[in-house]
Amino acid sequence: MLEDLYAAAAARIFEGAIQPALYALGLMDWAEDAYEWLDFAIFGLLTIVAVYAVCRPLEAWRPVERWESRGPVRTDVIYTLLARLGLLPMIAFVLFATLQARWEGWVAESGFIPPTLETLLPWLREHPLWALVFYIVVLDFGEYWRHRLQHRFGWWWALHSIHHAQRQMTFWTDDRNHVLDEVLAALWLGGLALLIGVPPGQFPLVVLVLRLAESLSHANVRLSFGRVGERLLVSPRFHRLHHGELSAGEHGKNYAVLLPVWDWIFGTADFRREVYPRTGDPEAPEALATGGWWRQQLVGLRRMATAIAGGR
Amino acid sequence: MRPPFQPARRPALLLGLAALLAGRARAATAEIVVYVLNSGDASISVLDGAERVETRRIPVLREPHHLVPTPDGRSLVIGDSAANELLFLDPDTGALQRRERISNPYHLDYAPDGKHLVIASLRRDQVDIYDAAGPTLLERLRLPDKPSHMAFSPDSRMVHVTLQGSGAVVAISLETRQPVWQAQVGPEPAGILWHRGLLIVGIMGTDHFAVLNPETRQVERRIAVGRGAHAIFRAPDGQALYATSRVDSRVTALDPDTLEVRRRWEVPGGPDCIAFGPDGQLWVTLRWIRRVAVIDPRTEEIETIRVGRSPHGIYVHPRGG
Repeated sequence: MLEDLYAAAAARIFEGAIQPALYALGLMDWAEDAYEWLDFAIFGLLTIVAVYAVCRPLEAWRPVERWESRGPVRTDVIYTLLARLGLLPMIAFVLFATLQARWEGWVAESGFIPPTLETLLPWLREHPLWALVFYIVVLDFGEYWRHRLQHRFGWWWALHSIHHAQRQMTFWTDDRNHVLDEVLAALWLGGLALLIGVPPGQFPLVVLVLRLAESLSHANVRLSFGRVGERLLVSPRFHRLHHGELSAGEHGKNYAVLLPVWDWIFGTADFRREVYPRTGDPEAPEALATGGWWRQQLVGLRRMATAIAGGR
Repeated sequence: MRPPFQPARRPALLLGLAALLAGRARAATAEIVVYVLNSGDASISVLDGAERVETRRIPVLREPHHLVPTPDGRSLVIGDSAANELLFLDPDTGALQRRERISNPYHLDYAPDGKHLVIASLRRDQVDIYDAAGPTLLERLRLPDKPSHMAFSPDSRMVHVTLQGSGAVVAISLETRQPVWQAQVGPEPAGILWHRGLLIVGIMGTDHFAVLNPETRQVERRIAVGRGAHAIFRAPDGQALYATSRVDSRVTALDPDTLEVRRRWEVPGGPDCIAFGPDGQLWVTLRWIRRVAVIDPRTEEIETIRVGRSPHGIYVHPRGG
């Protein structure tokens, strides 16, 4: 019933507005991709609503910090809308689609047929939900190391410090990233996807839960998952420690995005359950903390260029 | 073992036969199973032709788009493009027979003589020619741009492939396995059909099908059907051609002799591929509303059945072959 309503609403938008526009622009080639994007955007909107419904009451209930003005938070809202409604992913997709086709053509010519995780573990074919769990674990492992490198290299930190400069960290902060940083993330994930195959996207509920977990980890709430839970899933307490003022740059702890086990294994975990430090990067220019979206993008780019010129 | 014929049972048998004849149309439908490839959620819907319901959903890895029966009819071959594999299913039971690792199979078909299997990869700009028995790769052709659908000449000497990104049709010799000619047909050509020595091509960026003469390589005529002209199929009895338009969301019946429009059905949801039931009904995938439509050209009735996301390829199989 719900699925029917959703399908009907999406079809109305697509057939009534998007497809005729593509036709008028001579872009019918992109119809299937646009249909995918529409689902992404609608789903993104639902995700924002769900995350807000869960996180906002929690932040009101037990906030770590209280602020007189929430200006910087509003900038994070813009980041979230751009990322979750698919505007930035769509632009990136258009820019990279040709590149991707060339790359895949080259891979095909080489005679190499990219494997999938199911090729290595055939039983996963019959258990798609388990397959998704495997993919999440592998991709989360990849994300842990990407995050480590973001803090390790000076030029990459110059971009990533936008994410860390926020002194008013809330659940909106999850998507506060430089556009170029998002592109690097997409390339990183794309490379990993080529090694293990691209995970199927038919588990919206699971994806919704994952997004909720990531947003919750940034929330301004005094919440720990307990001695065992802290080791199973990244909590607001666990991730706030990563965003602590003294944890910026190379001095970081708690890099995991979803599963703290990686920090545990690689010696970067901090499981002190009562520590809720102030967030932010004291070395970052003020614009990265309180500037608008455009300003932060420009300053981030400039800092990256300086870091590269300085050989960092 | 089948029992010997018994005369004493003849009245009962005749009564049964009469009942059977009375419900002939429904019975014909009852004997079919319909396979629908849900390209948007990595699955195959199996439909009961009589009850008009989905009875089973078979998970696949990534993104199935098109399917074709093997020349001996013993297998149904499904291309899962993003998973880089072909699935061979038993069309009677839906059971998996085997898998083959194949580079990005999007559209695929066997030559009429059954010797070659040709696979187009839209995303990778390649057309692969396989020895059908293997399938063993014989030739990989890099083509500009977005090779989409294909049609063979009846003598199996040529395969014609639409190039969605180049606005062209390319003819490839299956003897030399090289392109022989290329002709411009219009923006974003998609479906293509060999019809009495001509090629009828859906020009998706326009409202018409182009009629291309492979001898002169000229577009001789344009048939207006509706915006987003997409794919075209011949009814099994040869009495009509059916064309889909995705933007105007329409199915159009053409006269096979004159290529004039005979009638049209407005079918919301973006009609794409068509398969035919034994009683002449059209089974049409509707890409944007997660449904297939069943159109009865005799009664004009249209019924829709829920399937998975972005249903694309469709195949109607009479049970028992």
